[in-house]
Amino acid sequence: MNNFQFHTALNTSSAKEVFSSNENAKFLSGGMTLLPSMKHGLIQPEHLIDLCKIPNLNQIRDSQEYLIIGATTKHDTVANSDIVKSSIPGLAMLASLIGDPQVRARGTIGGSLANNDPAADYPSGALALKAQIVTDRREISADDFFTGFYSTALEEDEIITEIKFAKPVKSVYEKCKQSASGYALAGVFIAVYPNNEIRVAVTGVGAGVFRWKEAEVAFLASGTKPVLDRDDLISDLHAPSAYRVNMAQVLFNKAASKIKNN
Amino acid sequence: MQIKVNGQSHDLAVQDNALLIEVIRDQLQLTGTHNGCDTTQCGCCTVLMNETAVKSCTILAKQAEGASIQTIEGLAKDQLHPVQQAFSEEHGLQCGYCTPGMIMSTVYLLQRHPDPTDEQIKEGLAGNICRCTGYVNIIKAVKSAAKKIQDATI
Amino acid sequence: MNAPQKLLRKEDYRLITGQGKFTSDWYYDDMCYAYMIRSPYAHGIIHSIDYEQVKNSPGVIRVITAQDVEAAGMKTLPTGATMQNPDGQNQILAPMPVLATDKVRFVGQPIAMVIAKTYEEAKRAAELVDMNIETLEAVTSFDSATEANAPKLHDHVEGNLSLHFVKGDQAATEKAFENATYVSSMSVKSQRLIGSPMELRSVVAKYDSLSDRYIIHTPNQGILGMLGALEHITGIPKSQIDLQTQDVGGSFGIRGGAFSESALSLLAAKLVGKPIKWVGTRSEIFLSDWHGRGLELNGFIALDSNGKILGLRFENKADLGAYTCYFGSFIGARNVSITMNGVYDIPALSMSSELYFTNTVPVSAYRGAGRPDIAYAIERLIDHAAHEHGFDPIELRRKNFIQPHQFPYNNQIGSVYDSGEFDRLLNRALEMSDYANFEERRQKALANNKLRGIGLAYFLEASGAGTAPKDQVIGQFTQDGILQIFGVTGASGQGHETSFSQIVEEKIGISHDQIQYFAGQSDKLMVGSGTGGSRTLYGAGSAIVNLCEQILEKSKPIAAQLMKVSIDQLTFRNGAWHAEGGNPFSISEIAKQLFVEGQPNQLNATGEASSGATYPNGCHVAEVEIDPDTGVTEIIQYVAVDDVGVAISPTLVQGQIHGGIVQGIGQAFYEQAIYDESGQLLTGSFMDYAMPKAGCLMNIKTEKIVVPTKNNILGSKGVGESGCSGSLPTLSNAVISALRPKGITEMDMPYTPAKVWMALQNSN
Repeated sequence: MNNFQFHTALNTSSAKEVFSSNENAKFLSGGMTLLPSMKHGLIQPEHLIDLCKIPNLNQIRDSQEYLIIGATTKHDTVANSDIVKSSIPGLAMLASLIGDPQVRARGTIGGSLANNDPAADYPSGALALKAQIVTDRREISADDFFTGFYSTALEEDEIITEIKFAKPVKSVYEKCKQSASGYALAGVFIAVYPNNEIRVAVTGVGAGVFRWKEAEVAFLASGTKPVLDRDDLISDLHAPSAYRVNMAQVLFNKAASKIKNN
Repeated sequence: MQIKVNGQSHDLAVQDNALLIEVIRDQLQLTGTHNGCDTTQCGCCTVLMNETAVKSCTILAKQAEGASIQTIEGLAKDQLHPVQQAFSEEHGLQCGYCTPGMIMSTVYLLQRHPDPTDEQIKEGLAGNICRCTGYVNIIKAVKSAAKKIQDATI
Repeated sequence: MNAPQKLLRKEDYRLITGQGKFTSDWYYDDMCYAYMIRSPYAHGIIHSIDYEQVKNSPGVIRVITAQDVEAAGMKTLPTGATMQNPDGQNQILAPMPVLATDKVRFVGQPIAMVIAKTYEEAKRAAELVDMNIETLEAVTSFDSATEANAPKLHDHVEGNLSLHFVKGDQAATEKAFENATYVSSMSVKSQRLIGSPMELRSVVAKYDSLSDRYIIHTPNQGILGMLGALEHITGIPKSQIDLQTQDVGGSFGIRGGAFSESALSLLAAKLVGKPIKWVGTRSEIFLSDWHGRGLELNGFIALDSNGKILGLRFENKADLGAYTCYFGSFIGARNVSITMNGVYDIPALSMSSELYFTNTVPVSAYRGAGRPDIAYAIERLIDHAAHEHGFDPIELRRKNFIQPHQFPYNNQIGSVYDSGEFDRLLNRALEMSDYANFEERRQKALANNKLRGIGLAYFLEASGAGTAPKDQVIGQFTQDGILQIFGVTGASGQGHETSFSQIVEEKIGISHDQIQYFAGQSDKLMVGSGTGGSRTLYGAGSAIVNLCEQILEKSKPIAAQLMKVSIDQLTFRNGAWHAEGGNPFSISEIAKQLFVEGQPNQLNATGEASSGATYPNGCHVAEVEIDPDTGVTEIIQYVAVDDVGVAISPTLVQGQIHGGIVQGIGQAFYEQAIYDESGQLLTGSFMDYAMPKAGCLMNIKTEKIVVPTKNNILGSKGVGESGCSGSLPTLSNAVISALRPKGITEMDMPYTPAKVWMALQNSN
């Protein structure tokens, strides 16, 4: 990797300050996507600011309406948390399906959301669960957060501090893994809220995470197979878009059955 | 920076861009931990960091400051660790290159699931690639090690 | 620490405690680091390369360029023996230069080696190279390489065709097809693979100017093969190179010969005067280790009205990659021909293979080197013919088996099969897999919306006769009575140290912990083949048997003397010489005593044996279940019944079979090296090249049936590559069996979920 200066931030303001006072700086959380990119020379920051030593950024807490997860909380912490399992089981499921055990021991939710890989799992959870991404300066709703291929609404020096997930009545995540990378070839998150409010979010299939409106309708009207037709469907050497669409439908049905039979 | 490796405290001069695996291998001469890929897939570099299996090729040494690291060299105490013993007995290694990482992942797996199901074993080793054994005997070794550990704690 | 508990293999202790020594585990003081500059283009003319900025980059010590290679008088990489066209013309070779000279012909081709104080500095310097390369159109497939007006990789190779290889009796085969009642054909592709042993290829090299000697550490498959290649390329006599390698992290045929980086490291070590270390990254290895397979096999079979095979014909295409390297040309030519009849008694055989160049990484041996591919092609063809013409696929095979009384069986095409009992193994495999009741299981699965299939294949493969006229091993005793054995082989996980010790222990009773096996010590020069072609156990092992016999012979008179008896009073049992009324003397004790008496070398000997090719074979059965909604295939059960002759170390044999089968699973369900049209490797890392992981095979039953061979002292047939030869046809036949009810009778590997699902959609 290129040479850079490593900074340990002890609070978000000093993290921002180091970021602003240096050229070509990047925030470091788990490092599970940033460091591989740096090893390949795709990103060459001159300053890395480690956020993981900032206290209280890795807590999970339960408020009335929300489950609140700190940005530097590791995937396996979310996967194994009793609070998460009881209030949003779909989210625990999602976290347990990311990567592999060693990756889950280091990767963080904040890092995953800030990166917005089109095949990452967390974006579908955040979108389905009406997440509020809380940063050092504002709250961004999930509907506005994911702006496209690897891009988010975050400003350059903006730091995610925690994510507030609206607690649903039911939640399930189903995933079809790309057999080499472990990323989602298709991932479907269903969240059921009171008054028949259904949110279905899909990852791995398009240029970024999206709400699948046809599936939300189909969920309530059982027996119909939701159509998935978009301009940005991915076809690559792993699978043509038709397969991804099929898997989204299969995963949706599986998730829907789990919810309805539970 | 301070770091504990296999129970021994070290105060090392470490470059900011040094990876944990580089410190382990090049500075501390613990070459049992291996580098097998460049996309964080293969798991040959797996060590325990604060008792959790991690891939040392994708951790900066500086991120591990103050941590307690256990490598394959630190596993055996007066005698071989049951996982090491089981790997040999069940012929769960051939060339041995993936073996240190595979063993450390198994130690971690058995910590979390002392009597793992087939699914839990598959998931527990999902971050480790072997090209020689076909995994059949590795899975046998994991089960044998689980039994050894359980018997020892009775 | 206390003495270790009982371990399975001698190799294990160091490997499970992290004390193995793989090439990159070698460190020297004052070592510098190398980084390769490689071609980013698949095809291009090098007009000029400016290294000025590279040389001036911080930390850079030297840049080794094509000019240095020329000045050092280096030759191109070895190409293997030249084959001939039917018209008598020799194969048109295109050997690979150590560093590209006038053209680049594949992405990843070595252009220069940068040496710097640190790896990072070498890498950063390399990025500053200024290459003036005029890119040309690239070809990456047979069709594009051989079409009219296709860009030529090599000026002297028309139509990018290196060789049109022909074998067998074309006339007789044509006649057979004319007289046939039934004819079937099946085209299969054995896709290009990236072998990916887990140890990243690396080199550490050192030069001592006073003695004019080199030390080199690099993974290899046997000292003589590697030294021979290095000598050929660099001109440095073998006697001046000390190749020291302790542990090798997998090989699978890829590491038999020297790569550019090894030759360059020797040169660099001399020019720079410091130890040099080069370690490849995985993405780099994807572009520089020889690739595997890359064959298209088109088979035609002619049957009479009873299903007796009258003739078999193959028309093949073999992708060589950009250059003829090492073993590459043999795979799609000789290797797929020598056992092209499989286990069947076929009177007329003919084969024609076209070997062509493409702008891709050169192809060489990868576990099986053509034999798994031809086994795959034959067994798919037999199954297809059976279904097409209404024969039971099992009975069609049985009807055509070579019968036990026909051995040794000359297949008229280059092989004399040693022994086999194909019916016996077939029956056992049918029994173990409960083949007879499969239909019931298929119906049950169908009720659950799952497609079950069962695939059977009987494979036979040719283990290597070796590259040397015989195998030798040197045995010598130490003062402590330890027998040290030196051989030429190169293990990469096979457990030679253990198997060989086992042979000695069984023969002359020396305890295995009193035996040490050393593969490849430069100061012990012997004749022998490296590891390859699944022959080390019976090749070197037979030499060890001979060594034991000699040691025993030599020890007898010495024992008589020590025990003060006459020779004819001695009997050897339980590892010691016994005589009436006296104390027994073991070989080790005799050895120790000789040291005491100042005559240390009396028991030392060189064992040798000539071992011919053998033909391990087996019947594998796989039952799979496909979920038509997802295209995912689950292997419900895999049965492997193998005849590997006498098995010296049954557990190690089983390990080899497991490993080979799972590499077959890799090829069948996961792996493919995919290039785009411009010659960029799309599957450039483990992110996109899927490797089988734990759990891909859960339910496997293996069994060995011993049918000894007379072709070596041990009666062993070798096993290293059998798993691949068995699994490719077995798994393919199983998947097609599951899909046939849906009208799908042909599909190429890998059977990824997406591919299977798409095929099911298209068949509806």
